[in-house]
Parts: sequence; structure tokens; C-alpha cells
Amino acid sequence: MAKEKTLIEMIDISKSYDGEIVLDEFNLNIKENEFITLLGPSGCGKTTTLRILGGFTMPDTGRVLFQGEDITHMPANKRPLNTVFQKYALFPHMNIADNIAFGLKISGKSQEYINDKIKYALKLVNLSGYENRAVTSLSGGQQQRIAIARAIVNEPRVLLLDEPLGALDLKLRQEMQYELRRLKDELGITFLYVTHDQEEALTMSDKVVVMNQGYIQQMGTPEQIYNEPENAFVADFIGDSNIIDAIMVEDYVVKINGYKFPCVDAGFGKNKPVDVVIRPEDIIIGKPGKGVIDGVVTSNVFIGVHYEMCIEAGGIEWLCQNTRSFAVGSEVSINVDPENIQIMNKPQSEDEEAISLEDVLGEEKDQ
Amino acid sequence: MKNTSSAPAKIAKALYLLLIVFFLYLPIGALMVLSFNSSKSMASWQGFSLKWYKEMFANEELMEALGNTLTIALWASIIATVIGVMACVAMNAMTDRKRSIFMGLNNIPLLNADIVTGISIMMSFLLFGISLNYGTVLFAHITFCIPYVILSVMPKFRQLENHTYEAALDLGASPLYAFFKVVLPDIMPGIVSGFLLSFTMSVDDFVITHFTRGAGINTLSTLIYSQLKIGVRPTMFALSTVIFVIVLLVLVVSNFFRKDEEEEAKKASAKGKEYVYKGGMSTKKTMAIILAVVVAMAVAVRFTPSTPGEVSEKGVVYVYNFGDYIDPELVDAFYEETGYTVVCDYFDTNEEMYPVIKNNTADYDVICASDYMIDKMIKEDLLMELEFSQIPNIQYLSQNIRDFMEDFDPGMFYSAPHTWGTYGIIFNRELVDEEDFEGDVSWGILWDEKYAGKIIMPNSIREADMVTAKLLGYSMNTLDENEMKEITAKLIEQKPLVYSYANDNARDLMIGDNASLAVITSGDVLYAQEDNENLDYVVPVEGTEVWTDCWAVPKSCKNYDGAMAWINFMYSYDAAVANFEYLTYAIPNTQLEDYVYEDYIEGETILSEIEILNPSEEVLERCETLKNLGPEGDDMYSRYWKEFKSK
Ligand SMILES: Nc1ncnc2c1ncn2[C@@H]1O[C@H](COP(=O)(O)OP(=O)(O)O)[C@@H](O)[C@H]1O
Ligand SMILES: [Mg+2]
Repeated sequence: MAKEKTLIEMIDISKSYDGEIVLDEFNLNIKENEFITLLGPSGCGKTTTLRILGGFTMPDTGRVLFQGEDITHMPANKRPLNTVFQKYALFPHMNIADNIAFGLKISGKSQEYINDKIKYALKLVNLSGYENRAVTSLSGGQQQRIAIARAIVNEPRVLLLDEPLGALDLKLRQEMQYELRRLKDELGITFLYVTHDQEEALTMSDKVVVMNQGYIQQMGTPEQIYNEPENAFVADFIGDSNIIDAIMVEDYVVKINGYKFPCVDAGFGKNKPVDVVIRPEDIIIGKPGKGVIDGVVTSNVFIGVHYEMCIEAGGIEWLCQNTRSFAVGSEVSINVDPENIQIMNKPQSEDEEAISLEDVLGEEKDQ
Repeated sequence: MKNTSSAPAKIAKALYLLLIVFFLYLPIGALMVLSFNSSKSMASWQGFSLKWYKEMFANEELMEALGNTLTIALWASIIATVIGVMACVAMNAMTDRKRSIFMGLNNIPLLNADIVTGISIMMSFLLFGISLNYGTVLFAHITFCIPYVILSVMPKFRQLENHTYEAALDLGASPLYAFFKVVLPDIMPGIVSGFLLSFTMSVDDFVITHFTRGAGINTLSTLIYSQLKIGVRPTMFALSTVIFVIVLLVLVVSNFFRKDEEEEAKKASAKGKEYVYKGGMSTKKTMAIILAVVVAMAVAVRFTPSTPGEVSEKGVVYVYNFGDYIDPELVDAFYEETGYTVVCDYFDTNEEMYPVIKNNTADYDVICASDYMIDKMIKEDLLMELEFSQIPNIQYLSQNIRDFMEDFDPGMFYSAPHTWGTYGIIFNRELVDEEDFEGDVSWGILWDEKYAGKIIMPNSIREADMVTAKLLGYSMNTLDENEMKEITAKLIEQKPLVYSYANDNARDLMIGDNASLAVITSGDVLYAQEDNENLDYVVPVEGTEVWTDCWAVPKSCKNYDGAMAWINFMYSYDAAVANFEYLTYAIPNTQLEDYVYEDYIEGETILSEIEILNPSEEVLERCETLKNLGPEGDDMYSRYWKEFKSK
């Protein structure tokens, strides 16, 4: 994958609204035929990033390159990309066929070509025969698929999708996730996908970019993001985790509230304060005395496939998931495999929690 | 429980409906009925007739005013809609803060009083040396229509949050294409309602039009208003009926189309068929229908035979006159005889005409004004002397009027009388004791307990004071405070006897047998007798006010020869007869003395023998003309009038 050609480069993009910085020296490379997802909480600048790419918002500084060519100031209607908007943005006074044909008519395609394309696109999104329907007569999921059909008939090199499934209910969303992935594979074009739903990001993407407050927190494959979060923000955002203050006693040994755990990380130095991330499903629950710390089950909820329990042990509330149920009040012990303990550097201060590493370095240089 | 709560609700609903019908539709109904009344009276029904409709279509002035109203409204609303939509596009692109500031600026003119808007627009035209004409009215209408368009279009823009415009750009549309293809259809309902709102506002407007119109430009509202002096003719009822029916038709037709479409949709979905959405179709159709009707009307009006020779070689004479104060056919006759085209323009009161001349907001060649106003304008140097060598017909001016002119135009340099008359008592022979009206009659009869609740007094300071002053033997122009006190006391004493204080509708109340006695001007009497033959008129023995309305030439005159020709023409036999027959006011022209008038009561009568129009020498001896009192006098009169009113 690393060998593939770079399609889009965003270089040092900054954008602020009314003095409030939304994107700060943002850098992102998008490779050909990649399914890349921007993931982050609401308001972190995902839409702004997409709008800068689509040509609807001008960055204050920085450049956007498309195949090496500067398109920063190219108007939206000239860009070889298409967007699927958060709220579909279908044209309500046109029927489905006219909606889909909109872009094709502008580019002056023949009527037969347009008709074929409409058929093909509707088939692709599983809505064959809907040509003459009114926009308002479709459900949310159907409208979303029409919006996608309308975008892809123009054969864009890149499809930008801004939380396209945000307004759909859970079942439909899962169905559509699958469809989108299938579409992507069938079309063989680049998808830049935006979502605030970590599960969605992890299931669909080739590459996930975790953002917060205009900065990239971590970039990588879903596995990397999930298993090796680089900081507490990513770890917290990616799923329910136990993020615990700890001290790296020495290489391969971390001390949590006085209890020593073996781990696989090294190079932090001696007696260094760190953050430890342990996924709830990675905590091994056993009989008292069989693990590292003994504790008591304080709550237990069945959440579908497994039970989610809280265990009070060693002065810490541990969030655990297990397929076996332990009754509230029962005495248990906990243990964690060394490879499931993720050690992270502590941020310098509260404020800098959100600041990326390069930036910290940059600031230090300035001083 | 349910029943007890719904019963009052039902009553409330019924009451509400009743009130609506009563207050909103009853007046319109009455107006429609009156438009078919063969009598001019608003008070009595005298048989079905279509004559007002015929008169309406034959009345070129009315048709022209209608044409102006429609074309101004059409252009103003079209242009305002275009500008308003462009403003919305711009405002939509602003930040929230800026936009709210601009919306605030937009809303101020909406709340502003029309009179302020009208005067300020007029002032700016004058400031920039733009003389008032059709264009200035149109400009003013565009100005006040734009905020309405913005007000109805802007919310539609704000509802476009689902980014359809950007979606269109994204699909390769140019900004213009995207706007017309995607944004416009979505905001169309707002545009249509903005357009219609502008159109109605423009048609409705009186105040702003009044201030910004130039010589000869009338819309329906200014024309109707200017006719108030001699009473609204039933042609206006006919016109109002036609307009109301057209509006009703448009509404019904557009509703019909909308229903059609809804049913189509219902049918389609009932049969499980695909319904093709036709968003905005019904509004488009409504719009098309309304436009078609308006354009058709405007065109129809424009192509009715208009004044001959729109461009005459000798030029145009602009006449500024009381509304409906000459026979309208004289305009054509004057053209045929002299080759001048006449453009008439109207006002309702002297006080309305005065500032127009004083400030020179429009250039008129001839004006008509009452005696006291002529006096004022001469003193303020607003009038030009008349060249009587160009008005040979002035020889026919009656001598007794020349005498009265000494009061306001001594030596007769500036004015030439058009009509004249007296104030007196109109009475209903059936409702009064005959003997009270044999021999001399005193103003005192208006204080007679016998006629309590049957007396109509004027509702204006000078006329009411005149009646009382004459009764008490004082001058109607008295400046003596003690006399004024006495006059006021006398008026207060009379109050319980009075049926109504009325100006214009005194005549109609008398026609309708609502009262027995009223103070009225002689000119209205023949008119009233047409509809009620029991009415008669007497000038009380104490004397009365003689009034004269005169032609004069303001300093703004551009066509002096034309103005002289006009005045001369008015003194010709044919014009004098035509005016008399049209107005039934006394025309001070000696040629008319032998004219035989088809009196409604007496049959054929020689004009000089109609007492109503020709008070005896001895009565005239005791008559006065209305004089300017000066600011202090005016003050005193209104102070005492207020006191009288408040008692
Ligand atoms: N047009 C705008 N004007 C002012 N502030 C804006 C504008 N667009 C976005 N913002 C601000 O920029 C920040 C990032 O917005 P956005 O990119 O939409 O976030 P996301 O899509 O990740 O939820 C938010 O704080 C938002 O309020
Ligand atoms: Mg967003």
C-alpha cells in the first residue's frame, strides 16, 4: 500500500473562523484507491478539511495539491472530486433521474450515455427502477444512496463523504457501511470518508486519521489505531478503555497503584510517570489469589455478546468485558497479558493533551 | 366534559365567523350593490342600472389611472423582486452578524410611516433636481417594495441549509447555472409571495405616490382621493367591484389548480402508481395566471382610445384642479379647438395643492384654487398676472362676481373665476313645516327645538362658525375674542339638537331622508334634487358665505399661452354649458343666463331663474368671502373649535 501513488496532498493548511483556529498547519496525504477516514469528535475540523478539498472553503494558508498540481484556488465546479453531503443535498424539485443526470448534463454527455449511466448507478446502489420517483418519497437511506449515485456517475477520482450515514438508524447504517465498502471496491476510486463514529471508521477504512481540535492525533490502519493508541485521547476516543496513571519502574515492568505488571514496552527510562491503556476485554478475571490484584465485582450489565462489569481492585475501578458473568459482590482477581498493556507518554500538561508531537517540538524551539 | 368545553368553542367560532363576514365582507357587499344603483346617492336605492360601468369604461382619466396603477405595480414589483433577490443572495453570503445588521436596516423602512418615506423620497428627488414624473413614482414604488421582497425571500434562503447550491457546484455547475437551476426553484415560493406582496403594496399605496408623482400622473388611489371634494362618483364603486371580482377570480382559479394537483397526487398514490413530483408547479401556475391577468388588463387599458394626439405641436398644458371639477370631455374639445394637449392632475383640498405650488414639486401651467387661497398665494408671490388680452371671453364674467373678487384679488390681476356658490340650508319639504320656509328664513331655524335630531351642521371650523356668526350678526371673519366666545356658546347650545356634524355626506344623508335640514353649498343642491325631489334650498336672510373657485397661473408655468387659452376656453359658451351640466355648480358666465336647464322638479327652467344658483341682490349684499385670519386668528379659531368639540 505504501508503494501506491499519492493523489492528494494537503500541505500546512491553516484555517480560522473569527480568530478561532479550526485547522492548524494541517498535513495529509491521500493515496490512490485508498479508503481513508477522518475520525474525530464533533467540531474538530473534519468538515472544514473536506470543504477545503471540495473548494467550498478557502484555507488561510497552505496548499492543496492534486497529482502534484496546485488546486488551492481552483473553483469547486472545476475540481475532479465529488462530495456526498452530510444531509444528502438532493434537489427536491427534480426527480431521481434528473438528480443523477445533473452533473452529466453539465459536462455535455449524450442522452443515451446519461440514460445508461443512470441505470448503472441506480443498480449499483440497489435502487433500480426509481428513476421517476420524487426525492421526498424516498427514505433517508434511499436518499443517501441517490446522493452517492449522483456523485459517482461523474466518475470522480476522489469521492468525499461527510458523515453520510449520520442521519440513519443503526441497522440501516450497518447495511450502508457494507454497501459503501462494496461500492468502493467495485468502482476502484479513492474515498475520503468523514465520521465521528469510531466503530464505523474501524470497520470500513484502509487508513484512519484521528483528529482533535484541528490536529491529527494519530494516523494508521484500524488495527494500529485500536491496538496501539499513541495517546490518551486516541485511546479514549477509540473505545471504552481503562486509562490509568502508572509508573514505568524499568523496561518491561510497569507499576499500577503499587502493583507490578510485566509489559512489552521499553525505553521510557526509570520510574517515569506514564499512562497505561488496557482494553476492557483484555482483563482476565479469575478466582481470588490467582491474578495480580484481588477485588470485588461492583456492577454487571449484559450488553449483547458479553457482560460488562466493574471490578474494584487495588483502589482502581476496572472496566472489564467477559463472556462469563461474575455476580455483583463476588470476590475475583484480575490479570493482564503483557502484550495487552499499552504504555503511553504522559502529556506535559492538561492543555497540551490535544497537541501533536511535532507541535510541541516546534514550540519548544520557539522559546 | 367534552361537550361543555366544546359548546363555548362553537359559539366563539360562530361569533368569529359572523364578525369576519360583518366587518370584512359587508362593506364590500354594500359597495358592490351601490355600483348597480341608478342613483348617485349612497343612501338610497333607486333601481338597477349599469350606467356606472359604462361611465367607468368611457372615462379616460379613470382608465389611464388604472393603467398607471397596473403598469407601475407590475414594473415596480418585477424590478423590486429582481433587486430584492440579488440582495438576498448577497446577504446570504454574509456572516451572521453582518446579516442581522442588514436585516435590521431592511426592516426599518417597513416600520417607517409611509408619510416619512414619501416625503423623504420626494425631498431627495428635489435635492438632486429631478422633476417629479412617472419615473419618480416608479422609483419610489421600487424603493418601498424591495424590503417586502427581502422579507419574504430571505427566510427561504435560510432554509436552504441542506447545501443544494454547493452540491450543484460540486457536480460541475457554474455559480450562475447552479443559482437558476437549483436555488431559484427552491426559493420560488418566497419570490412569488414577495412579488405579490409588492404588487398589492404598490396598488394600495396612496401616500408615497402622492408625494412623488409629477404633473398629470395619477394612480387609482390618488385619483379617487382627489375626487373627494365633490363626492366619490359611483363609477368608483363599479371599478372597485371589478377589481374585487378579478382578485376573487384569480384566487379561485389558483386554488382550483392547486386542488387539481393535490388530487392527482392522491389518485396516483392510491393506485400505487408513481407520482411524479412537480414541486412549485402550483405556485408557478398561480403566478402565471396573475401575471397574465395583470398584463392583459394593463394592455387593455393602454389600448382603449386614448387622448387624441399624444404629442401635439403646440405642447402640453398641465392643469392642476380639484378632482372631477370640469367636464372631462372638455380636454378633447380643447385640443380640437386650440391644438393644445391637456394633462389634468387633481387634488382634494386647497391645503393639499398649496405646498405643491409653494415648493414647486411639479410644474403646472394652470391651477384652480379657492378665493382665500388665491389671496394667500398672491401675497406670497406665487402667481403670475393674467394677460386678459389673451382671454377675450372674460367679458362674459358676471358682474356680481367681479365685486366679490375685490376681497381676494383686488383689481382682478391674478385670477379668473371658474365656479361660485353660496352656503345655505337644504331642507326636505316633506319633513319640515312649510310655513317655516315661506318668506325670509333665518339661520336660527337650525336652533329650533322642533327639528331636534333632524339637523345636520358642518363639521369644519370656518363653516360652522360662519353660520353662527351670521346668525348673531357678526362677520364670518371676526377676530374679536368676545364675539368668538358668543359664537362658541351658541354652537354648544345647539349640540343636543344636531343629528350629525357632516361635510361630504350631508348631501347623501339628505337624499336618504335621514335629516330634515342641513347646511350645504348651493352647487350640491341640484345634484341632490336629482335623487330626491322633496329637497329644496334657501339662503338665510342674515347673509352667508360666497365662495369662488378661480383659475390662476402659478410662477412655475411653462406654457403661458396655453394657460391663457385654457382659461379663455373655459369661458366659451360650450365649455360653460358642459361644466354646468356636469357639475351643476353655478358658473359665473353671462352667456348661461338664458340657458334652459332640465330641472328635475320644475321641468325646463331658464338658468338665471333658478334661485338656488342666483341669490337675490339683497342677500348678496349681506354676504362675505372667507378670509385668511393669519396665524393668531387661526389659533383662536381652533382653540374655540376644540372647546366646542370637547363639550
Ligand atoms: N462558516 C463557519 N463560520 C464560523 N465557524 C465555523 C464555520 N464552519 C465551521 N466553523 C467552526 O469550525 C469548527 C470546526 O467545524 P467543522 O469542520 O464543521 O467540524 P466537524 O465537521 O469536525 O464537526 C467548529 O468549531 C465550527 O464551529
Ligand atoms: Mg461536520
